Amino acid sequence: MSADEGEQSLATVGLTKTFGGVAALDGATVSFRHGRVNALIGPNGSGKTTFFNCVTGMIRPDAGRTTYRGRDITARPPHRIARAGIGRSFQLCRVFPRMTVLDNLLVAVRPPNLLAQLAGARKREETERARYWLTRMGIDHLERAEARNLSWGQQKLLELAGVLMSEPELILLDEPAGGVNPALIDRICDLVRELNAEGRTFLIVEHNMDLVMSLSDHVVVFDRGRPIAEGPPSVIQSDERVLEAYLGV
Amino acid sequence: MPRDSERPRHTGRLLRLGALLAGIAVALSFPSMAPSPYELTVGIAILNFAVLSTSWNFVGGFTGYISLGHGAFAGLGAYATGLLVTKGELPSFVALFVSAALVAVLAIPVGYAALRVRGASFVIVSIALVLIMLLVFQSWASFTGGSRGLVVPRPFPGKLRSEHHEIFYFLFLGLLALALLAWWIIDRSRFGMGLKAIREDEDKAQSLGTPTYTYKLVVFVVSAAFTALAGGLYGLWFGDLDPVFQFSILSGAYMVLMALLGGVRHLYGPLLGAVVVGYGLEYSKLEYGDTPLHLVFAGLLLGVVVMFMPDGVIPAVTGLVARVLGTGETSIREVTAAELRDERDEREADVRPDHRPDGKRPDGKREVRQ
Amino acid sequence: MPSASLVFQSIVLGVLLGGLYALLAAGLTLYFGVMRVVMIAHSAFLILAAYLAWYAHRETGVDPLLTLLVTVPLFFVAGVAMQRLLLTRLRPATLTMMSVLLTFSVALVIEGLLGYAFSGTQRRIRLGYSSASLEFFGARVAVVKLIAFGLAAAALLGLYLLMRHSRFGQALRATIQHREAAALVGIDTDRIAGYGFGLGLATAAVGGTALSLDTTIYPSLHWHWIGPLMAIIVVGGLGSVPGAAIAAMTLGLTQSLLQLELSTTWAQTVFYVALFATLAVRPQGFFGGRLAQRF
Repeated sequence: MSADEGEQSLATVGLTKTFGGVAALDGATVSFRHGRVNALIGPNGSGKTTFFNCVTGMIRPDAGRTTYRGRDITARPPHRIARAGIGRSFQLCRVFPRMTVLDNLLVAVRPPNLLAQLAGARKREETERARYWLTRMGIDHLERAEARNLSWGQQKLLELAGVLMSEPELILLDEPAGGVNPALIDRICDLVRELNAEGRTFLIVEHNMDLVMSLSDHVVVFDRGRPIAEGPPSVIQSDERVLEAYLGV
Repeated sequence: MPRDSERPRHTGRLLRLGALLAGIAVALSFPSMAPSPYELTVGIAILNFAVLSTSWNFVGGFTGYISLGHGAFAGLGAYATGLLVTKGELPSFVALFVSAALVAVLAIPVGYAALRVRGASFVIVSIALVLIMLLVFQSWASFTGGSRGLVVPRPFPGKLRSEHHEIFYFLFLGLLALALLAWWIIDRSRFGMGLKAIREDEDKAQSLGTPTYTYKLVVFVVSAAFTALAGGLYGLWFGDLDPVFQFSILSGAYMVLMALLGGVRHLYGPLLGAVVVGYGLEYSKLEYGDTPLHLVFAGLLLGVVVMFMPDGVIPAVTGLVARVLGTGETSIREVTAAELRDERDEREADVRPDHRPDGKRPDGKREVRQ
Repeated sequence: MPSASLVFQSIVLGVLLGGLYALLAAGLTLYFGVMRVVMIAHSAFLILAAYLAWYAHRETGVDPLLTLLVTVPLFFVAGVAMQRLLLTRLRPATLTMMSVLLTFSVALVIEGLLGYAFSGTQRRIRLGYSSASLEFFGARVAVVKLIAFGLAAAALLGLYLLMRHSRFGQALRATIQHREAAALVGIDTDRIAGYGFGLGLATAAVGGTALSLDTTIYPSLHWHWIGPLMAIIVVGGLGSVPGAAIAAMTLGLTQSLLQLELSTTWAQTVFYVALFATLAVRPQGFFGGRLAQRF
């Protein structure tokens, strides 16, 4: 990874998005540093997923700017943002159900030029790279199965493998531990740590506080569409505003 | 991959090659075997349907976007060819390719409007396209001949009727081969992988870096061009164009029906569907003449396919064959066995975060749950 | 340049036509709202209702308006049945595309059966008041057109009141806006979706009867209606009933005014021009909310 530890990775200024009069994001200004495992927490409806969707170009913000490593990526189409080095998973895990596990990864291959678009999709080199990620996820024995036949946990791992295949520097994970058994949560945590040690930055939306506190270096708390607190997990845990937002006291 | 799966794959490939060669042999020898020119015209009509539905399948099969308006591209191809020959005085086959190029250019703004949003709007635009073209070509009679029709001169004036049919039979066959080849190339390419990802989950494909909009637009234009070629060739063969038949919603619906019936995920799906439906259409036309009951049967067949076998007959039949031959990945008992194994392995994997380095299961079995 | 009274007459006729468009587009919007289904067979049912009115009048001599008593409940039940027996059995992942094909096939069957039963001949109801017309401010308007408009307006008003002020309407709106959330608060969304579909089809019954009063009908006529109607719901924003009504009025009026200068067929292209312009400039339509952005 070319960027240095501590350099700015993803940042937004005044990001705003309203749905039918309700502000899902209300001038969210926040920035994340490269090389960290960042976490984004907040009560339901605080705008976390909308934030993900806005920065990845899935929905167009009404106002505000997004930059990634200093480059403006506001309202770029999602594939451009992906190619700039931002990968993401979806809230309820999404894979290509009727494609094989291997093909699920090969979708993420970027042909170098126009002519290469028509070259065979299962080139040895790329297949090997796909198998590498499948092996790291521990699902390589399933490579010829259709993705819809995998168990939920396996699909989660497959989704992560697909994201990694697109070689992102920054990985946004939307509830990686949602609906997953405790053993697999540990496995996912280990993977995040390993990948982070290899230089990948993470931004994780998660409701499982134990996971957030043990995994992340930096936590941002959202409430009503904007950040209300940020800092290392130990500080956030005792922040009054956070308790108020969560418990309504 | 475990070894035991290689052998059936190998025989499968041989079988497929044999079937392909047999199919080509039958197709090539059909004109000399046909008892009368009538059978030959039926063959041409079926080939025309096959090219049309294969062309449709570039969009429908790869991206899952259902166009009900491809009849418009066929009609435009036919009319453009006819007009270029009669008014532009171009040689017939130059006109054919020029018209396909023109239709491809026209498909760009249409695709631009239709593909920006997902699904529903695309269908609406596709239907609207046929209806507009019908309006325009009926109303603009001074240019298109309107409801009186447009007569397209024959490209081979010196030939006998039967020779004429024979030539066009092979021209349609060649065009079909070209369309199938193009579909096959895309199917195995990275471009095709991206298109299929769009069919499965467009958001997800985009988030992995696939420029979905461009992909959809490109394949839409390719599809329109092939459809126009088929339409233009039909115009040269049939020689008489009427807006009501050229810009009919029904012709687009037949393309969908044929492709869906055969199976949109398969190279030969639309061809198979065209043979079945096309033969049925020609047969019923001969036996019962033109009755409104055609619509009823087409509608019922389409409904049945959509409800009960949206993947077409090819997967249905191959699934059946696999079950009979006992390749057995689909039997209920094995599903549960595989599931149990899965869960056990998952538990193991969870206990031991370091995966097996060789990536194999201890029992060495491949598992596929269906 | 057409005279002022002619323009005025066109405006009146445009409004009357727009009312019928609005009612039918509201039906299409309902289907789309509750099921995300583009109901191609809507206009085929419209023509079916018109044929039923014509047939009843020919056989028994009853006023076509009386057929409403039968067709409205009948179509409502047919709509519920169609939703429960056909559409809910499609795979959710491909529902939008496959439902188009399924409703398309229903349209083909209806057209074919109408053609088989009544032949392709053009049919028209002759009533005692068919040729009567009213004149005001120099505009001559046929009484049957006014009746048709009144019918459409009454049905639309009824629909509006039902949606706004009844418990059922509340559940229907909740289902349209957020099906999962509606289910969570205890609404039987499947049943509501079925009723929504039935209501949509009932608008086709009312519209068809209104249409039969002053229009020549033939089996393939529905293709001339489905195009404009679909254009209307896209321009209005898929899923928005007020959007559909406004777009219907605007486009109906434009069509009517264009007919002063152009032939009927060319004037009809306004719908398609509007459709393409909307998709190119503002694909979510002009009144569509969050829902329209995804389709």
